[in-house]
Amino acid sequence: MPLLGFIFRRVLQTIPTIAFILVVTFILVRLLPGDPASAMLGDRAIDADVQRINAKLGLDRPIPVQFLYFTKAVFTGDLGNSIGLKLPVIELISRRLPVTLMLTGMAALIALLVAVPLSFVAALNRGGAPDAIIRGTFQIGLSMPVFYVGLVLLTVFAAKLRWFPVGGYGQNFFDDLYHLFLPATTLALSLSAVLMRNLRAAIIGVVGADYVDFARAKGLRARVIMVRHVLRNALISTVTLFGLSIGTLLGGAVITETVFAIPGAGRLMIEAIYGRDYPVIQGLTIALALLVSFTFLLTDIVQAWLDPRVVR
Amino acid sequence: MNTLVKAALSAALLVGTSYNALAVERGGTLKYGRYADSLFLDPVLNDANVDIWVLSNLYDTLILPTDDGKGLKPGLATEWKVSGDGLTVTLTLRDGIKFSDGSPITPADVQWSLKRAADPKKGIWNFLVGSIQDVTTDGDHTVIIKLKNTDPAILAALTVFNTAILPMKAFEASEGTTDEEKAKSFSAHPISSGPFVLQSWDHGQSMKLTRNENYWAKGEDGKPLPYLDGIDFEVIPDDATRILKLQSGEIDGAEFIPYARVDELKQADGIDMKLYPSTRVEYITMNVRPKIGDKDNPLSNEKVRQAMNYATNKEAIIQVVTHGVGSQMTSFMSSATPLHKGDKPLYPYDLDKAKQLMKDAGFENGFETSLLVLAGNQDEIGIATAVQQMWGQIGIKLDLQQVDNPSRTQQYRDGTFTMREAAWTDDIADPNEIASYFVYSPTIGALHSGWKSDEADKLFEASQKEIDAAKRADQYAKMQDIYNASGPILPLYETPYPVALSKKVQGFVQIPLGNNIFGAAWLQK
Repeated sequence: MPLLGFIFRRVLQTIPTIAFILVVTFILVRLLPGDPASAMLGDRAIDADVQRINAKLGLDRPIPVQFLYFTKAVFTGDLGNSIGLKLPVIELISRRLPVTLMLTGMAALIALLVAVPLSFVAALNRGGAPDAIIRGTFQIGLSMPVFYVGLVLLTVFAAKLRWFPVGGYGQNFFDDLYHLFLPATTLALSLSAVLMRNLRAAIIGVVGADYVDFARAKGLRARVIMVRHVLRNALISTVTLFGLSIGTLLGGAVITETVFAIPGAGRLMIEAIYGRDYPVIQGLTIALALLVSFTFLLTDIVQAWLDPRVVR
Repeated sequence: MNTLVKAALSAALLVGTSYNALAVERGGTLKYGRYADSLFLDPVLNDANVDIWVLSNLYDTLILPTDDGKGLKPGLATEWKVSGDGLTVTLTLRDGIKFSDGSPITPADVQWSLKRAADPKKGIWNFLVGSIQDVTTDGDHTVIIKLKNTDPAILAALTVFNTAILPMKAFEASEGTTDEEKAKSFSAHPISSGPFVLQSWDHGQSMKLTRNENYWAKGEDGKPLPYLDGIDFEVIPDDATRILKLQSGEIDGAEFIPYARVDELKQADGIDMKLYPSTRVEYITMNVRPKIGDKDNPLSNEKVRQAMNYATNKEAIIQVVTHGVGSQMTSFMSSATPLHKGDKPLYPYDLDKAKQLMKDAGFENGFETSLLVLAGNQDEIGIATAVQQMWGQIGIKLDLQQVDNPSRTQQYRDGTFTMREAAWTDDIADPNEIASYFVYSPTIGALHSGWKSDEADKLFEASQKEIDAAKRADQYAKMQDIYNASGPILPLYETPYPVALSKKVQGFVQIPLGNNIFGAAWLQK
């Protein structure tokens, strides 16, 4: 089973990556100017209060000692309490991360649903009017800032037409989908543009390949050729790109969540950074690093499945 | 239509409207958009405005601030008396007051709450009641506060969030061993003494409050307050989204409306754009130490600071940055702060005078200096670019350094900053809080500026004990004169709180201290 061995090797490779990210994050947050107590107490804080709180948080200890405590905490699965919100980091992450996952998942799905058929239309009409229109539209989508697109969609579809709620999050699964539709579309816009460009080029490349001609000569139906031969081969590079884009998508979620008032992990991260909430920043970094690594792993597996040569 | 009919119709309309204005309607849940969520709802251990500004809806204090933020009105206590020597305050508790769980609010609860608030080991607000030496009780209704020294601000302090009354037994019975742990578990499901009770709290998203069925205060209709069934606070960090939600009717109120949108919302249908008087002042703090690092600091020269003041066209900044919403400062403390003194704007724009002062100070050719600006904050960037251009006219080359807030706070606390923009809001209806931070050097070194006036320090110390109102007012007048003439800040403007409400919302108040008061708010059906 070469594929299983491949997966095992890839999982092992993830471990040092995560460890490296952990160390770097730990050092970086401590290199940032300012400390949690000052950030929390604000400009009015007197020295005694700042020192008292930092001591209580163990931040008066030497950095290596702090790191040892942190490593121990990670291995015991206890990421500590948020300094600002005074809640367990695990609880915060488990409440906020699913929201972001749902948002990015929906965005990824919308991007695929838009990009795959349109790439075919564009590629098969290469140089024609449909191609020009599709490419032009996506070019605009790609060049507009996320927050601006978000506000435009909110103004038109939520405030004016009242088809969707202006931001917020739902009470149940379907309500969540309803609430997340506009933000996910916002987030999907640039991703679908990137995917479209790549997939269109790949399809054009594959359509002209010998094996497609051969399939046609064998008398296979056009749909079978398109799905089994063209799409499968054209997807190889797009899958990689798609996997790599998940990181970008998570980054975009930060802005989208703020504009649409979605209580996700992206907004939590921003708030934690502003508040120098070390445990939350560290905890979220671990969670996001694991998530991105997992996505890369999944990407590799899908790629290996599409193109068995990758395993070797 | 003849005149008589017109008159009759107008009269009928008038009666109709005034009837509407009088008849409060009960019920409904008010949805209010906040720019940020609260962090920790304990009156003593909380640290931030986002907590303070909603706490008064959950917990009552012995005395309440009046709607103008300057006066006192009865809260859980109906009467109070300060003894002749100013060292004892005797308060009478209201009859039949109860916590939200129906248990009585006793003098023991008050004693315990006040002692906790005054404990210097707890929280950062204990200084507001630092004069309390002991609290005792007498019978079922009397609480006696003994003071270490006379404290003219003690009654005002009893209106502040940190002196809110909590149920001692329920708090002590909460999970945890330390006070902080107990506060954490108690504030997750608090038992209230104020008009509302916390129903649920989804951090970062929403906080739901319901009416406290046992609240003491009565409404205009003779029945207990509050009128509302509840309040839903929704967290909507983005200004534009908050406004869109209000416009689409998804929420009934939105706080922190950007100044640029105020005029537009004043014209909008169905929206009541409110500008509540506030104690908020916006200013630039200057580091006045002779040297910053190893470099000479021209800002240590009083004449230079005055020159920069005269060279700043504050009216222009008010127009550009606040779109005319702000007004010029007449003292370092806002005109809504008690004992504020001043009726004309400080340092009116006078370029010639500014140039002369620069010459007198020996900086005819100007100098280079820097200003810390909060990255991404449009108001701060607007102010910074305006003063950069204005000071250029007296030869000052200003370097704008955009940083994030914790970085700025670090430089500020270390005294390594040159200049920074800042805003202040009072938490207590007394000038002692702002004076202790701005003027009195032992607290935080006059805003970490390195400025110090022995005379002002002495005046402040004396004013903290002075119970003769006229003498105290005089001390504050002198303190303001000294500070306004040579202090380390450049006053920019004072601004009201811009809150946009749906026209359905009645009776809501944001007092000058920032507290959002929903106790007598109601929704027109």
